[in-house]
Amino acid sequence: MKAWLRFSTSIVNKSVISDIMKLFDIDFNILKADITPRGGKMLVEIDGPQASESISYMEDKGIEVTPILKVVKKDTDKCLECGACVSLCPVEAISILDDWDIDIDNQKCIGCGFCISSCPTQAIALME
Amino acid sequence: MKTIEEINQKIKNGDAVVVTAAEMTLIAKDKDIKTVAEEIDVVTTGTFGAMCSSGVFFNFGHSDPPIKMNKTYLNGVEAYSGLAAVDAYLGATQPNHDLDIGLDYGGAHVIEDLVRGKEINLMTEAYGTDCYPLKKIKAPITLENINQATMVNPRNCYQNYAAATNSTQETLYTYLGTLLPNYGNVTYSSAGELSPLLNDPYFQTIGIGTRIFLCGSAGYIIGEGTQHFTEAERHHGVPITPSGTLMLKGDLKKMDSDFVRGATMPSYGPTLFVGAGIPIPILNEDIALRTSISDEDIGCKIFDYGVPRRTRPVIKETNYQELKSGKIEINGREVPTSPLSSYKRAVKVAEELKKWIQKGEFLLSNPVDLLPNKGQLVKPLNIIKPPKMVCDIERKPVIITHPTDPVKEVAKKLVDNDINHLPVVDKNGKLKGIVTSWDIADAVARGKTKLEEVMTKKVIIAREDEPVDIIARRIDKNDISGLPIIDKDNKVKGMITAEDISRLIGKKNNK
Ligand code: SF4
Ligand code: SF4
Repeated sequence: MKAWLRFSTSIVNKSVISDIMKLFDIDFNILKADITPRGGKMLVEIDGPQASESISYMEDKGIEVTPILKVVKKDTDKCLECGACVSLCPVEAISILDDWDIDIDNQKCIGCGFCISSCPTQAIALME
Repeated sequence: MKTIEEINQKIKNGDAVVVTAAEMTLIAKDKDIKTVAEEIDVVTTGTFGAMCSSGVFFNFGHSDPPIKMNKTYLNGVEAYSGLAAVDAYLGATQPNHDLDIGLDYGGAHVIEDLVRGKEINLMTEAYGTDCYPLKKIKAPITLENINQATMVNPRNCYQNYAAATNSTQETLYTYLGTLLPNYGNVTYSSAGELSPLLNDPYFQTIGIGTRIFLCGSAGYIIGEGTQHFTEAERHHGVPITPSGTLMLKGDLKKMDSDFVRGATMPSYGPTLFVGAGIPIPILNEDIALRTSISDEDIGCKIFDYGVPRRTRPVIKETNYQELKSGKIEINGREVPTSPLSSYKRAVKVAEELKKWIQKGEFLLSNPVDLLPNKGQLVKPLNIIKPPKMVCDIERKPVIITHPTDPVKEVAKKLVDNDINHLPVVDKNGKLKGIVTSWDIADAVARGKTKLEEVMTKKVIIAREDEPVDIIARRIDKNDISGLPIIDKDNKVKGMITAEDISRLIGKKNNK
């Protein structure tokens, strides 16, 4: 499962993340992080038997956890199916289907934003 | 064998056989070409891609009191109005006059908004004459309430195009999309076997007055486009590099936003995605054969856009089957490819045109003149003064340092010579890194003593054989103040700084 974690100023200097990795049986993968002394956010992937316990723990410690189904969203009205984004994706999440439509696989997407900044019609947005 | 008149009669009777160019390729695979030429009457082609050389002529109608428009803006995008009083031409790539908007909303976006029926703010200034006294107008307009909006595109539908890759260490933003460093991807833009001019490579049927599909309505070819070129190398009859082009005309009022869209190539600028399709009458076997060409037989060269010169090095020759497969091998590595034109919409264009003809709504036209198919060359623009090269500039004797030098000594070198950057070289004089006074200050603060730990190893460099203007762009883009000059063996020859460049370019402009 992918989720955005939001940190307020008061908890950026606490070691909540390393604690959950020690305390729970989870696979934890940081996809994107933007943290400053004034707080910040992190896109993570959490899986494993104790994923939900670890989320409750983080919430207890003051981290705002927002699970997301999609990392990015493509606006089909804006998208021209030009394909410019396809070769830019570092994890091959974007593919050209048999009918030449452009598809983004949100399971694979790591939210790097390359496709977003390179789309000529700004058809892709990060889901926050 | 057949004439356009005969085909038109069939269209009127509702029994013309019309197929798309992609279907034609399949049909011709298992039939002899003589039968195919007899059976098929029209092949429809299509493309939907970014075509920068596009724009619209407007006639806004006269105000009371009247004005002779001199400076004209549509939603903040300047349209050229050095024409009769209320005529103007809006080019697709014109950026917004408002610097905060800049490339995000330009001419192409205004064109799309007009087609969508949106209201556009017209702002125009004039110097005032006896017959045209008004000096300023601000008024909302829509496509419906202006006299004319005629799309005239000086160069569309390139017959084949280059594919691009990037050998350098930095990401490049080009009109062929974003190019990742170290040959990280390849982009291409032709629709291949569906592309109009690749299906009639010698312009046997295409000419002035050919009625076509343009952005969702009927338009016309009004001549060869700018940069029309006929002497490229050909494989299977089709040029393998950019060649022929078309000048097109259509009525914006009848267009459909599914087939005309404004876009912005990141860090490059606005451009218009244009959908165009040409019907090719199958008059004889030769034309039938030409229209049955497949992606595999259409060659294409991949150029290195890391070299920003008029002539870019060719990295590889390929074909559209390989490009469309999504992967291509470059220097032994598999690299992903991206089309930049929408094949999905190209198919839609060809299908739509096919439908029009089948329904008898669209007849073929006899061109009044065919397009030139030989002897057309493209001349370069020669800048009177040759570009100044890095090796031409006066250089100070090069001051260098070695990876094993103590930080303290390096600091002294910087201070003694009153410089900010110092290239780090090995014993053969080859570049290993660079240190700045800031790196040294940082090293001292953190108690680091060895240069190797503080120097920057990924160095942005200038090569001796590069034009100075390209280095100026590199300095700007990377926001750095200087870079080492190296020769072809990677040996350091000197330093070039932003100051050197501004002095040089300043000198050039004063002369
Ligand atoms: S780059 Fe943008 S417009 Fe082109 S296919 Fe990707 S999402 Fe669609
Ligand atoms: S955000 Fe990055 S990982 Fe996700 S689809 Fe776009 S390029 Fe791929």
